[in-house]
Amino acid sequence: MNILVPDSWLREYLETRATTKQIKEYLSLCGPSIERVNGVDGETVYDVEITTNRPDSMSIAGIAREAAAILPRFGVEAKFVNDPYGTKIKNQISNIKNEKRLNVTTDPKLNPRWMSIVIDNVKVKPSPAWLSKKLEFTGIRAINNVVDITNYLMRAFGQPAHAFDYDNIGTKNGVPTMILRASKKGEKLKTLDGKTHTLPGDDIVIEDGKGALIDLCGIMGGESSSIRENTKTVVLFLQTYDPVHIRRTSMALAHRTDAATLFEKGLDSELVGPVMQKGIELFHTLASGVAVGEPFDVYPESFKKYSVETSRKKLNSYIGSPLLDEEIKNILNNLGFEPKVTRDSISVSVPSFRRDVTIDVDIIEEVARLYGYHAITTTLPDGEPPATIRDPLFDIEEDIKTRLRDFGYTETYGYSMLSENETRTFSLHTKNLYTIANPLSLDLVYMRPTLVPSILKAISDNASSAKPLALFELSLVYLWKENDLPMEKPKLIIAQSGENAFSVLKGTSEVLFDIYGISYPSDSLDFSNIYLTTNKTLSLGSFGYIGEVKRELLASLDIETPVTILELDIETLIAKKQSVGRFVPIPKYPPSFEDLALKIMPKTLVGELIRKLKNADPLISNITLLDSFENTRTLHVTYLSLEKNLTSEDVKPVRAKILSTALKDFGATLKS
Amino acid sequence: MSDSLAATIKRVKEKLTKEAVSSLLDEALLVSKLLGPKSEFGNISKEIATLSKDEKQQIGTLLNECKREVLQAIQKRTTKNTEKEEWFDVSTPGQRPPIGHLHIVTQAITDITRIFERIGFTRVRHPEIDTDWYAFESLNMPPDHPARDEWETFFIQSPITNNQSPTKRKIVLTPHTSNGQVREMEKGNLPIRMINIAKCYRRQSDISHVPMFHQFEGMYIDKNVSIGHLKGFIDYFVKQYFGPERKSRLRPFHFQFTEPSFEVDITCGICNGTSILPNGGDCKLCKGGWLELAGSGMIHPNVLKNGGVDPSKYSGFAIGWGVERTAMMKSGTKLDDIRLLYSNDLQFLEQF
Repeated sequence: MNILVPDSWLREYLETRATTKQIKEYLSLCGPSIERVNGVDGETVYDVEITTNRPDSMSIAGIAREAAAILPRFGVEAKFVNDPYGTKIKNQISNIKNEKRLNVTTDPKLNPRWMSIVIDNVKVKPSPAWLSKKLEFTGIRAINNVVDITNYLMRAFGQPAHAFDYDNIGTKNGVPTMILRASKKGEKLKTLDGKTHTLPGDDIVIEDGKGALIDLCGIMGGESSSIRENTKTVVLFLQTYDPVHIRRTSMALAHRTDAATLFEKGLDSELVGPVMQKGIELFHTLASGVAVGEPFDVYPESFKKYSVETSRKKLNSYIGSPLLDEEIKNILNNLGFEPKVTRDSISVSVPSFRRDVTIDVDIIEEVARLYGYHAITTTLPDGEPPATIRDPLFDIEEDIKTRLRDFGYTETYGYSMLSENETRTFSLHTKNLYTIANPLSLDLVYMRPTLVPSILKAISDNASSAKPLALFELSLVYLWKENDLPMEKPKLIIAQSGENAFSVLKGTSEVLFDIYGISYPSDSLDFSNIYLTTNKTLSLGSFGYIGEVKRELLASLDIETPVTILELDIETLIAKKQSVGRFVPIPKYPPSFEDLALKIMPKTLVGELIRKLKNADPLISNITLLDSFENTRTLHVTYLSLEKNLTSEDVKPVRAKILSTALKDFGATLKS
Repeated sequence: MSDSLAATIKRVKEKLTKEAVSSLLDEALLVSKLLGPKSEFGNISKEIATLSKDEKQQIGTLLNECKREVLQAIQKRTTKNTEKEEWFDVSTPGQRPPIGHLHIVTQAITDITRIFERIGFTRVRHPEIDTDWYAFESLNMPPDHPARDEWETFFIQSPITNNQSPTKRKIVLTPHTSNGQVREMEKGNLPIRMINIAKCYRRQSDISHVPMFHQFEGMYIDKNVSIGHLKGFIDYFVKQYFGPERKSRLRPFHFQFTEPSFEVDITCGICNGTSILPNGGDCKLCKGGWLELAGSGMIHPNVLKNGGVDPSKYSGFAIGWGVERTAMMKSGTKLDDIRLLYSNDLQFLEQF
């Protein structure tokens, strides 16, 4: 969390001649990060980010304590003064008899320390300017002296405080009564901001003598007993709570307050006493309040000091070089730890406000950050590098992407989530999709099991483009596995728009298969796919398919031009890929060429025809399609022998075999 | 025999005619080279001697015809070469091959992978949809821990019902690539030098946030790994990727899964780390000359234990950062809306 720290207030706890610039720079390097320094109304205000593990620093005094340890490391003298932990608890002398009684019942599991005092004779009025200004610099609106005192205590020391109107706390047997307990599910409570909350259950609350809930503990006080202009007697209330309870309630009700963000980090019960003392003093000075008797304090388990140890060896290994005993002692002393340093180990006694320090590396952090990360020598990892083998997936993914780019395709990245609407358009059964329980919007709900919707969305979004679109995406899809995490499979999808797209994409796939040394998957005619037309669709077996998208599907996506898609499974490509090219001796003799124009029967599959004819004789090295016109297919035939120059005598019988196969298997004849 | 010889003669003629046209030799030399006794035609003349009388005549005629054609080609070339060169408009736009484009994220991933491969860090892939255990709890973040606020996490509806441990039942979209830490350790091979790059998801969408983005994670586990090694790793990357003049620094921070933890800053490329622009104005891009790049730290002993690594013998560092942000920082572009990255607008994609 971030807190605002006015420079002049900070210096009430920090004696130093450090400039604001030095404070900003040195604290950021070794402690809490000062993100900005703002000039407001003649005051310099630091905007400080404090990490969740350091609730002790979430206050003006807390920052001062850090600064006093850090600044001397940079040669700037600094001293932490007015340490709240040093406050003497004075006995209250009061003329008022104990007629203002308060009955209290609490539960130490939920509330490790309860401290309250009745303050009588209070005059509610606006705060003096110095107080309201201080609060405003730290982002809190001044309200009246009573509320402002509680906020002052929170900002100065990081201990939230609350004031109840004594006369509005429900009584039992004539005595105002507070019972701290866990709530039941469904109980209602109106907080002082006017909101009524229905409680999730197991929230820490206070019930009064009449059975009404008057405090949503650690988050916000109840409205019924809040401070009003005519309040005469208050209960000043300081406490600590089980952080997990506060956190859960605050999150469940989405009710985030400064108090809740502090309490949920776990606050130091030892601090409650000194802050109570400060509070009583402020009530006396600012509201002419008089404390009735002594604070009521329920604190069954006070803090017991404990120690944490680390080895010098581990510290040296983290920092990369050994530190002197004196330096280690100095650093830890300034932070409030009591260190014992021997040749092999460092042991510290942890102060009550630093209970985040529990294991060896926590001490290492304290020493290392004050030593200065900037002072640690920079060096590359110097151990022996492990012998690991890179997953071939990454190579092929990168290779395919690069080749497609060079073929003129443009890569897209679609969101992995589909909308409800898309699942309907693409007939995806949502039962077998990984579904987001807390989606951000209805557009992004289901984890995609296919890239088809994404690539067609990209086509649709660019429909105004003047040229034919050639787009691709290579991403993981998330396939359903019953009672398990999804199967995450890399898929390639290419989409091409325009009338000639099928042929272009088929060519692209042929080249890809050639490049990876995989023979082109043989056509399977009974393949069908719900997104594709039946006439222009080709299965590529376990690799994927090519096909023209159905017109009605395109129309529902506002796409007017024909679109063909090619989908390939990357893992199958890797499994079938030839890792290296195989050497074939370069022919010594030149090939001969010949073009044959064949008249074919309707619906002859020319791909099949070529494949069959190629196998008619070993001297045929290749056959390609030169031209296609009505029922004529002109084939370009290459003859090659590894042993000799081919003569027309040699070619003649081979040609005869081609023609007889063409006639026998396809009814095709040579055009004269 | 004669059929094949005739074919050969024709083929040689074709070949020599082509050579005649393109050759830069002067005429006499070229005639001797292509038509002299040692030329291919010369060799064929010798073969003619072995033919029958009829064939001799037939093939001889053909050979002479072909030689004449080649000679003509040589002569024609000479005359042409002496002619004045035709005017040619070199300003005509050329015939362009098609240009495709790789997404800026792919380009950044490739660059990052390459850079780290050179110091022995190998890219791996871990799940993008994972259990709560790997995404949070194994990283020292128990349920209800406030540190989880940092990640606005998407949860998946259907839990894994046959697992007893609640945290291994719950499925999340990984909000960071750190779920790969314990998974990588579980492979049981030490030392580890890992790079994990994957899609991540967070519940946020505005001009500076996208619900889907890419993160990069580096992890090093070995004996005696120091904070200095992490600094070296970062410094190496920053200089390779952003340029040798850029500097980096570590600032204290807190993450549950590292101890100590750091935020990594690099000097701003716009103001060169001075926070003041050449025109004297304040740099708007950075905070006092520094830009936040990454979160990092020394791997917490609990995380090592969760991955089956003994923290008394091994230590390590982990670092993670956003690929998109890094790519933007490199190119110096500031997108007015980061969601453009995944809008698939060709006018955007074709710029990279």
